Amino acid sequence: MTPLLGSFTIWLSLFFCIFQFIITLKNKNIKYLHLCVNGLLISSLISFLLLMYSFIISDFSILNVFQNSHTTKPLFYKITAVWGNHEGSMLLWILVLTLFNFFIFKLIDNKNSSFILKTLLIQSSITIGFILFTIFTSNPFQKIFPTPENGLGFNPILQDPALAIHPPLLYIGYVGFSAAFSMSVATLTFKNHQNILWYSYMKPFVMAAWTFLTIGIALGSIWAYYELGWGGWWFWDPVENASFMPWLIGTALLHSLVIVEKRKSLQAWVLLLSILAFLLSVIGTFLVRSGILTSVHTFALDPSRGIYILAFTALLGGYSLILYGINSKKFFNNNYFNSFSREGSILINNIFMVVVCATVFLGTIYPLIIEALTSNKISVGEPYFNSTVIPIMIPAILIMGIAPLLNWGKEDKLKIFKKIAPTFLSTIGMTIFILIAYKPNSVLGVVGIILAFWIISNNLLILIKKNKNYSKGMIIAHLGIGLLILGITGSSTWQEEKILKMNINNQVQIKKYNIIFEKINEIKGSNYVALQGKFLVYDNNKKFITELRPENRFYPITNIFTTEASINTNLFRDLYMVLGEGNSEKGWVVKIYYNPLVMWIWLGALIIFLGGLISLSNNLKKLQVLSK
Amino acid sequence: MKNRLIIIPLIFFLLIILTFFYLLIIERNPSEIPSNLINKEAPYFKAESLFKDKEFISSEHFGNEMILVNFFATWCKPCLDEHEFIKGFSNKKKIKIIGINYKDNPKKTIKWLKKLGNPYSNIPLDKNGRIAIEWGVYGIPETYLINSKGFIKYRHVGPITKKIYKKINLLIDEIK
Amino acid sequence: MIKNKIIIIVFSLFFTYFFSYYSYSVEPDEILNNKEQETRARNISKNIRCLVCQNQSIDESNAPLAKDLRILIRDKIKSGKKDEEIYNFLRDRYGDFIFLKPTLSQNTFLLWFLPFIFLAIGLIIIFFNNKKSKN
Repeated sequence: MTPLLGSFTIWLSLFFCIFQFIITLKNKNIKYLHLCVNGLLISSLISFLLLMYSFIISDFSILNVFQNSHTTKPLFYKITAVWGNHEGSMLLWILVLTLFNFFIFKLIDNKNSSFILKTLLIQSSITIGFILFTIFTSNPFQKIFPTPENGLGFNPILQDPALAIHPPLLYIGYVGFSAAFSMSVATLTFKNHQNILWYSYMKPFVMAAWTFLTIGIALGSIWAYYELGWGGWWFWDPVENASFMPWLIGTALLHSLVIVEKRKSLQAWVLLLSILAFLLSVIGTFLVRSGILTSVHTFALDPSRGIYILAFTALLGGYSLILYGINSKKFFNNNYFNSFSREGSILINNIFMVVVCATVFLGTIYPLIIEALTSNKISVGEPYFNSTVIPIMIPAILIMGIAPLLNWGKEDKLKIFKKIAPTFLSTIGMTIFILIAYKPNSVLGVVGIILAFWIISNNLLILIKKNKNYSKGMIIAHLGIGLLILGITGSSTWQEEKILKMNINNQVQIKKYNIIFEKINEIKGSNYVALQGKFLVYDNNKKFITELRPENRFYPITNIFTTEASINTNLFRDLYMVLGEGNSEKGWVVKIYYNPLVMWIWLGALIIFLGGLISLSNNLKKLQVLSK
Repeated sequence: MKNRLIIIPLIFFLLIILTFFYLLIIERNPSEIPSNLINKEAPYFKAESLFKDKEFISSEHFGNEMILVNFFATWCKPCLDEHEFIKGFSNKKKIKIIGINYKDNPKKTIKWLKKLGNPYSNIPLDKNGRIAIEWGVYGIPETYLINSKGFIKYRHVGPITKKIYKKINLLIDEIK
Repeated sequence: MIKNKIIIIVFSLFFTYFFSYYSYSVEPDEILNNKEQETRARNISKNIRCLVCQNQSIDESNAPLAKDLRILIRDKIKSGKKDEEIYNFLRDRYGDFIFLKPTLSQNTFLLWFLPFIFLAIGLIIIFFNNKKSKN
């Protein structure tokens, strides 16, 4: 029953979507639009909930549930398994598309109705594409005969809270940019575009998408750090890059929208960026699901689905870019601004963000291009991205410190110098202090410290001055970035690692900690058995700090072995321990990491997220004023 | 000038789409690596031999006739799956096959071959995997076709399937 | 008490049997005594791709092939080989794919220079914009 109902609701959402397309195309029968938008949202929500229900009751007659679940799976993970696979995640894509469709519809009033209708036209076209893809190639409600007794279980590495909620947040990001895309295309084809404050409508959507993309990416990194067992959290993996690129364009877009609002300048540029942001989301989807690349994150799919997504991407991108090519001229103006001003520095930020995005894109697809042209295979890995992205980011961050302090319009260079003198001095001061107290051993570490304190002190200065001209959300988000850089610098520059063999009662010293191997236990979890080591951590004063209990787990149903790191976290450092193989006679392999300031990476990201939310609520308030 | 600039994103976009399309159309395995030793001389190595007392010296075997080299192990399931085809090369095609036993227990290998049949004329033992590294092996089973002059002409990674079996047979005829 | 010991031994053997197929990236017995040599080994390993993994270096990977290559690199360092000789050895057998940092060659010229060309174009735009604003 459920699968039939589920498939039916997907077809129903297609029906509503096509109906919306026709209505918005013909610009008539607007009273039915209300029905379409709501019907679309509700039917896609129901299909999503039906899949979730099937997972909860372990209905193995549905192929998707069979492939991704098992009766012994904890309930929370049964629920999150819904979007942990390709077909289910497509339902989530559609749900978020219809949700944003609903929010776009909510904007409609007497003044903007034709513009909003155009936007809804584009949004419904995108949604039709995704629903068709789901129905014809990725139906999650496909049945399996005969009904199996139990499921294939699920990868235990993916049973983690951070990983579980990371996709929905990430998708709000990716899919949120669809609204900006639709508005951009609508603006390009709109006759009286001067009368429509399209950029004010676009802003909250871009802000929402960017904010959630930030926290979505951060959660993915948090999962990688806590779960994968070697203390890394960013690998320049193609799928990570696929989420980072829309984020970079989103950052540029967010900043240049401010200029469009204030100066009516850079309109054509913003229209292009909003097209690119969503295009990158869709290309990212393609890279992950087509089987064209291998990555830790790729869904195992066949190229035929890839061809469909590619065709859809080609249509979407081709149409929007051709449209841009033809219609963007009317949005050009010749407002030039001085680099030493707020507008100028935002423009500079945009250029840096786009250059970094282009670099990441180049590095990600370069192996594919070389393979297509020469049949040779090359790798473009972490060292490439670190060598290119980091040097380019450094000046961008330096400018980020000064930019909020600059006035709109030209700024006297002497005045600028006076403004930044206190923070310049405090940054140098903090850096010297760190140099003496903690003796960093790398140039990059020192640069990171300078950048972090530069951002933090400049934003603290603004907070202290309590000048009402500044957007609170912006300051908080910028502060978050400063803290993020502090965390990144600390954890990479001052990391210490010890790899050794330990027997019971042996001890090892790392930094100021003394760690004693007390015993080894066998423990049982809900769907695994494990060997757990118990380690006691003391500091130099023989004070007991904590226990560390790293595990080696075996999940009998999926026949998978995993290592569970044991981590003790505080604001200053993580103590991170991994248990290797061994036995009672020869001892056990143990890996210990001292990772300073890691917590600040996550806190920084959280603070950026909060800053984004504050800005979002301000944007929404402005919109309300607009409609009156 | 600005007109021309606007077309640039579109052109890049179309080129990229074409590249992706091409890669999807051709049959390719994204995780497979082409061998760097094609048309190069088969790497020289010496190793203990399984059944014979004498040491196996590669130069005594390569360069005289066409040879198939097969890296295998008893603990490797795909090696079990492809064994019939390896025997087929030996029995039907009458080509000499050298089976390099990778990181294995010799006693187990003897049992395995007794049970399943031995298509190999020689079985050098690669106990620590160094010989495999010399050949650029990254995942067994791997099979190499060496021509009569001792040059590597073809490599297949993974178990021999019916399709690959036919392909190699054709290659053997071609090279002769 | 004895029952617990037996269970632990059984599990250790069980895990050792399976885990002996897996290593835990760099292991204690791989580590070279000479600190400088060990640092060299780690740095080289971080640039070598694990060919049977998804986008990891042999320094991070648990795979047996990764371990073999780590040991091979250390052996070569001990026998006096320079970094470049070791890289060449690996490239001859596995091709450029094994390097995580792409080498600078005809094929990768654009890869390495385009980012900085992009940046230069960007800076030119800023300069151009600045100049025009003065008029």
